[in-house]
Amino acid sequence: MKSSPARLERRCALLLLVFLSIAGKAADYQLALPGYHYQFPRDNFNHSAYRTEWWYYTGNVTSSSGHRFGFELTFFRQGISLEANRSPWYVHDLYMAHFALSDLSGHRYEHAERINRAGPGIAGIDAARQVIWNGNWRAHIGERSQQLQAITDAFGIDLSLASAKPLIVQGRGGISRKAAGIGHASHYVSLTRLLTSGSVRLNGADYRVTGTSWMDHEFFTGSMSSDESGWDWISLQFDNNTELMLYRMRHKDGTIDPFSSGSYVDASGRTTFLSASDFSMQPEDDLWMSPKTKGRYPLRWQISVPRFGLEGTVTTALRNQELTSKFGPSYWEGATVAAANQSGVSLHGVGYLEMTGYAAGAANTKFP
Amino acid sequence: MSHLSIFFRLIVRPMLRERARSLLMLSAVALGVAIVLAIDLAGDAAAGSFHSSLQALAGDDNFEVTADGGVPESIVGDLARLPWPIRVTPRIEDHATVAASGETIPLIGIDFIAQANDPDEVQLGAPNDTSIFDDINSPDAIWTTRSLSDRIGSTVTLVINDHKHAYTVRGFIPTSARFGGDVAVMDIDAAQRATGKAGRVDRILLKVPDQPGFAEWQQRLLAVLPAGVQLLPQGSETAANRRMLAAFRWNLRILSYIALLVGAFLIYNTVSVSVVRRRVEIGTVRALGACRRAVLLAFLAEAAIFGVAGTLLALPLGRLLADGAVRVLSTTVNALYVSSQPGTVGLSTGSVVMAFIVGIGVAVASALAPAREAALVPPTEAMARGRREYAIRVERGRDALLAFLLAIAAAFAARLPPVGGKPLFGYIAALLLVAASAFAIPALVTVLMPLLSAVLTKLLGVEALLAARSLGGSLRRTSVLVAMLSTAIAMMTAVGIMVGSFRQTVVIWMERQLPADLYLRPAGEPGGDRFPTIRPELADSIAMLPGIAAISRFRAYQIEYQGLPAILASVDLGPSQARDGTEFLSGRPSSVVLSQLDAGDSAIVSEPFANKHHVHTGDLLTLPMGVRAASFRVVGIFYDYGDEAGIVLLARSTMLRYLPDKAASSLAIYLAPGANLETARAEIRKAATGRDVLLLANGEIRRQGIRTFDQTFAITYALEAVAIIVAVLGIAGALISIVIDRRREFGLLRFLGAASSQIRRLILIEAGLIGILANIVGLALGYLLSLILIYVINKQSFGWTIRFHWPVSVLVAALSGVYLATVLAGLYPASIAQRLNPIEVIHEE
Repeated sequence: MKSSPARLERRCALLLLVFLSIAGKAADYQLALPGYHYQFPRDNFNHSAYRTEWWYYTGNVTSSSGHRFGFELTFFRQGISLEANRSPWYVHDLYMAHFALSDLSGHRYEHAERINRAGPGIAGIDAARQVIWNGNWRAHIGERSQQLQAITDAFGIDLSLASAKPLIVQGRGGISRKAAGIGHASHYVSLTRLLTSGSVRLNGADYRVTGTSWMDHEFFTGSMSSDESGWDWISLQFDNNTELMLYRMRHKDGTIDPFSSGSYVDASGRTTFLSASDFSMQPEDDLWMSPKTKGRYPLRWQISVPRFGLEGTVTTALRNQELTSKFGPSYWEGATVAAANQSGVSLHGVGYLEMTGYAAGAANTKFP
Repeated sequence: MSHLSIFFRLIVRPMLRERARSLLMLSAVALGVAIVLAIDLAGDAAAGSFHSSLQALAGDDNFEVTADGGVPESIVGDLARLPWPIRVTPRIEDHATVAASGETIPLIGIDFIAQANDPDEVQLGAPNDTSIFDDINSPDAIWTTRSLSDRIGSTVTLVINDHKHAYTVRGFIPTSARFGGDVAVMDIDAAQRATGKAGRVDRILLKVPDQPGFAEWQQRLLAVLPAGVQLLPQGSETAANRRMLAAFRWNLRILSYIALLVGAFLIYNTVSVSVVRRRVEIGTVRALGACRRAVLLAFLAEAAIFGVAGTLLALPLGRLLADGAVRVLSTTVNALYVSSQPGTVGLSTGSVVMAFIVGIGVAVASALAPAREAALVPPTEAMARGRREYAIRVERGRDALLAFLLAIAAAFAARLPPVGGKPLFGYIAALLLVAASAFAIPALVTVLMPLLSAVLTKLLGVEALLAARSLGGSLRRTSVLVAMLSTAIAMMTAVGIMVGSFRQTVVIWMERQLPADLYLRPAGEPGGDRFPTIRPELADSIAMLPGIAAISRFRAYQIEYQGLPAILASVDLGPSQARDGTEFLSGRPSSVVLSQLDAGDSAIVSEPFANKHHVHTGDLLTLPMGVRAASFRVVGIFYDYGDEAGIVLLARSTMLRYLPDKAASSLAIYLAPGANLETARAEIRKAATGRDVLLLANGEIRRQGIRTFDQTFAITYALEAVAIIVAVLGIAGALISIVIDRRREFGLLRFLGAASSQIRRLILIEAGLIGILANIVGLALGYLLSLILIYVINKQSFGWTIRFHWPVSVLVAALSGVYLATVLAGLYPASIAQRLNPIEVIHEE
């Protein structure tokens, strides 16, 4: 692979092909460097000096009648140009969004994506109004709670999220590293336990639901290293009020990057950074092949965090949760459950699993 | 006797024998039908299948949001954020002129990024080809149809408004995209910049789900949209333009029926002649037992055969003529109505069926009266010795009364209002008048012939006397010939007077309307619905030049008002007020009305606008001006001949309050007293360096206006010419049959010592007499018809007041041309008569 490291990013599978070919010059943008001073609510919103930014919501909800759903709503921003141009139609950034609904009880997976320019209010991030939106998909990030609204012809959500834990900054020194070297990192914050209630609409039926969601917000300018091919990422919310996040960066040769990491949040909200030596996450031989992209995704994972006496198995109720993208690479992003054991106590967890770089034609394999 | 053998004896045999007559009838049907067909086909291609070329790349949307002067772009965001699964497609729609060819093409700006979301949208480039994004912020990137450029990366120079610029072709628009001709597409940002439409888009298309139904969606959307925009079903503009073009086509089609009407006279005459000539045969078959009905049917069958054969000839001929007509029509449609590229001329099943119906219908209908007469021929005819002369009684008194009643009916019909915007009764009045004149002609001939013969005998001698007697003797034949020619002349005269009056009215109007010394407009070709603009800075710098007293900025927007296209315009009142010659229907002086216009939310409207929308002085006009709707008090209705759709005119200061775009569509430049025109011109040219503008002196712009006017009526002239040709052909044919009919008479004359040159003279005088009679009747009828055209038909279809004017020189030239043609039409029959061998002819007796 001949590409410069800066042109590939962590989660780059989520970035459009077009992003790769037209993204603004990395040199114009700031790198995620240690020592960043976070300040909220400012840092909930836009960082246009960084080329890439996303707000990532995933969650598991259940209706009053026991119908189970998983959802993903993601807002992406990709910097194109920093030129001073006051036309609202001028493209400073491309805004993309992914929206998926996993009907775990009905064994259906629905997803949609969209791409827009800011235009005269078509998409964007407005710190004053506390909203991040792409057309009629929006996230309102209030001081105490957040609202998510998104609809398509076939499905929609209208959810209220209240954070049960304080926001955490992932990584160390204000950066979450993805590989060795300066700049292979992102500024990464998470809300690990968002108590969720609202409604889910699917094919004309409305469901009142409650559950738990997770939010990741990252901003950076190029983070993945050139020899990396993708990553696997797991978030889990256990029923003892603790949360776990783990990711591993995969090299093209099959090895795992030593900068893979994670975090553990205990019931009181205290966060512990987990380096690669602190945990293991191993796929088991339960592969699902995507009929669309021919990607082969491992759907059963063994995890263990010896420091906290935690080990378990992550599985999913719905095998096809691959988000196939029209513009760019496809990836698997789905609701999961975990059966775990912590120091002899059995735990149940719900969460999301994300696997990128498996689909044929993924950006990082096709585009140098 | 079988019908077949009757048909053979009565029809086929004579038909083959009298080839000239058959040919004549055939060409009458063929020419008449060909003209009707050609106009129909050309009209279809130029206007009928009209689909706004600005709809290029539009999808299967349900609604469109528009506003006068453009939709504020913030509404795009507002609509995109609505919590409904709707597709929102903003568009910039304008025109560009290709510098190389001078062709004006639609320029469409679309949001390339949002466009990518829709799998159904037209793909620019290969499927999933995202290279379209590479040039997303490039102001020079365009996508074109393949006919505009040959390769990606080449440049195409376009004139947009007052700016000429080389754009780089980044890709091609697939031919599957829904539009007629060439088109250029840009990203919405580049298009907005290129057209200077900051802050506004021209149209927002909306696609809503099928549920919960169109009406419910309409209500929902209306509830969230500001009052300043209109929500219409998609394609409304196309529909509005179609409605306007329908009226134009309707009038054109009526005009094409003139040739057919003249052809009908010709057929009537030809069949009448042939009935007379076949009296012996008719008598014979009757004596052999054929019933009257069989005879009637035989003649009608003959007409039908001519109808079919003539139509078969008319199909290729009409198709050919249509190709020529479509160019002319398309020019008119573009100049007066809407930017469009003509479609291809094609014979549809419908048009072929229509041609046959018209062809057979006209032939049979025209033959009906003579065929009935044939059926009345008694069997004894066959027993009669020798041939009977062509002389049938004409009930002059009854016909004159009928003519009088028809004329009264015509006068009555002329006073009726239009039906659905179409001057139906006006045309009926015209038709009634033509019929009235046809019935009045026998009486007129009886009155005029003795007078003419007295004068002519003195001037031309004995041949004139014989000619006059002959014509007077066969009154009906003469009447039909005169009716035919005079109808054609009347149509020509009427249209001539109407166009002449219109032209004169426009000339006078332009003198009043164009008081400035110089006019500046963008080089981008303006048209009925497009008004390229001049950057405001240029106008400002011209105003500052030495020698310039003042400039007046005129700005026009294409709008839709009550389902019809119209123009919303504004003008600087200050500079022009002193020299303004605008005339108002109320007769109030323009200075008074214009000072009212200057104050508050006032408007003046043009006469066509007032007529189309039933607007009176004092009414309130409510227009969607973007965010809010605005109401304007109508303070006057002005005469205007510049635009058929109609104009709503505001003071510039009023307009800028609602539409802050300062660019002007044209500038009127007033020189300071004593300033030199050429010096000023040079100064302005210098100021306009780098801008693509046209600077026209007052006289030049008037000449240009008249040129457009003449272009518009070119097709009218062509139709008139065909009607005249058909009529003159008819005269020639009729004279041939007269010669053949009167072989015995001519033979006898020769036998009695007349020189062959005298026979020739006799026939030419007869032709000349018919010409004179037809000219007199035609001129009188034409005058009356022109009144209907000017005061009823034009007023009702276009809404403008034309002041009557005799285009003397045009009429004199045209009428003498027709007269000369009539006399010349006698040359061939005369030479036939000359060649008659008197011995042989007498021997036949």
